[in-house]
Amino acid sequence: MTREEAFERLNKVFREVFDDDAITVGETTTSEDIEDWDSFEHINLVVAVEDEFSFKIPMGKVVTMKNVGEMVDIILEMGK
Amino acid sequence: MTVTSLGYYALLLVGIALYYTLPKQGQWVILFLLSMAFYLRAAPAYTILFLLASAFLAYVAGMAMDREGANGLSAHRKTVAGITVAVVVLNILLWFLLKGSSFWMVGSRLIHHIIPAFPQLPALPIAGALGMGYYTAQVIGYIIDCYWGTIKPQRNFLKLFLFVSFFPQLTVGPISRYSQLECLYEKHRFSYQNLCFGAQRILWGVFKKLVISDRVGLIISGIWADTGTFGGVWPWVAVFLYPLQIYTDFSGCMDIVLGSAELFDIHMPENFKNPFFSRSVQEFWQRWHITLGAWAKDYVYYPVLKSKPILAIGKWARKHFNKKTAKKIPWLVGMAVLWFVMGFWHGSMRHIAGVSAWFWTMLVASELCAPLMEKATARLHINTESTSWILFQRVRTYVIYSLGCVFFSADSLTHSIDHVKTLAGALGSLTSFQGTIAGLGVTDADMGVIAIGVLALVIVAILREKYGYARTWMQGQILPFRWAVWLLLFIITVLCGMYGPGFNAQDFIYEQF
Repeated sequence: MTREEAFERLNKVFREVFDDDAITVGETTTSEDIEDWDSFEHINLVVAVEDEFSFKIPMGKVVTMKNVGEMVDIILEMGK
Repeated sequence: MTVTSLGYYALLLVGIALYYTLPKQGQWVILFLLSMAFYLRAAPAYTILFLLASAFLAYVAGMAMDREGANGLSAHRKTVAGITVAVVVLNILLWFLLKGSSFWMVGSRLIHHIIPAFPQLPALPIAGALGMGYYTAQVIGYIIDCYWGTIKPQRNFLKLFLFVSFFPQLTVGPISRYSQLECLYEKHRFSYQNLCFGAQRILWGVFKKLVISDRVGLIISGIWADTGTFGGVWPWVAVFLYPLQIYTDFSGCMDIVLGSAELFDIHMPENFKNPFFSRSVQEFWQRWHITLGAWAKDYVYYPVLKSKPILAIGKWARKHFNKKTAKKIPWLVGMAVLWFVMGFWHGSMRHIAGVSAWFWTMLVASELCAPLMEKATARLHINTESTSWILFQRVRTYVIYSLGCVFFSADSLTHSIDHVKTLAGALGSLTSFQGTIAGLGVTDADMGVIAIGVLALVIVAILREKYGYARTWMQGQILPFRWAVWLLLFIITVLCGMYGPGFNAQDFIYEQF
């Protein structure tokens, strides 16, 4: 899976979780950029990402990821 | 020794002199020695053994995980998980034994009522360690971080012990993550700015505590001590003044703590971010006692939300309700667990049954009413970004917080229920002013000092909101102005601070945890 493909699939997940078809995430997107992205939605998002990519994200990564770019790094690393 | 005593400042001066003159590789040793000196002067000497026990457990766990990790983490996952759980539980048990006496005293009393043969357990005759709630939380965080692999275990026991016992944080926190305090072991250069900023922050903290908090505390304790004389509106005055007392007490101590650490070029996490500027209860808890909230979020809330039972509840809810409602159900459960743990950390039933239950209810009500409020404001054409609406939201948050504090400010569940009864009884006589402020031992001059203090707090809060730190703004001002402000603050603190003969210096409220 390429980085671009991961972003494409992530966009779908974000739009589904936040009920907003206008969302397009990038490397530097953070919770500050998406209105409803609070700590609860963060876990919903993580679970939705896990479902989409069929692997579990370790808790250490869940609490330390700072932006969507890091989320993609994790996806590419876990998907190897 | 407390952080407002002269001995503490003498210790800081000696510490700074040694820290910046001796070889830099030994700086962490100076911090360690200062921490030991502070601890032994601030608490019964034997209680340092509890600190040592926690640090030792964390060290053993870290080392075991390090070894298991080197052997291949996935193959030894169960062993590592077992060690993590065991050491976390042992730390909680140690804290529970020494700081959680309220739970087993209340529990045994309840059982005794049902089964008279069951003994009523007394409080332990030994004191808990200083800052036990704070350092225990840090130790638990350290162990879990090691387990999650987000940090490398510390191999030097004394360095780990310094992380647990770093002296400024032992009074009221903040609760730091290990990664935030790894700078303790680095080499630090002398910086005039650190020295200035640290000293300024300490002065501001002492001003908040000795000039404002202890003065407001006199009024509040006077009212609650004699509600017969101070009836009518007075108990309500005490309720709405209490946030001012606790904020200037807790954040004042935090300023002294963070300022002290800054003198050594150690920058600890902030615990407050203008909480009374919050427009909602949710926002309030992101601005108040930030490090406890962050700790509970990372080590309790996230793992709970991602646990199998909560995920199963979420799945069930999605089948039976629409998407929006289904999302709220696991959130409700997660928040209930989070607030239970926050109440438990405060070490008493009244925190769980009073403070936590109140804020959980308010958060749930605010979440459930949000769509209704949105519709109402739209229909009434209310500009939700207008100053008056924002002010209304801030006052509403202040009122909710003040009411929650009724359970916090009393010294037992029974007393807090008494306070609630008094407040309910006073509702019918809110226009009655029995007793006078002079009867509380507070003069007009004291009231003037409080008013000036509040004005200073508001100005600093506005500057902080705009510039990140008020001192960043100050730094840009001309030298005579800066010196005039700091000198004025120093003189007011010396002249109006409540200390010395004739004054009974109040303990910091959050020191008990």
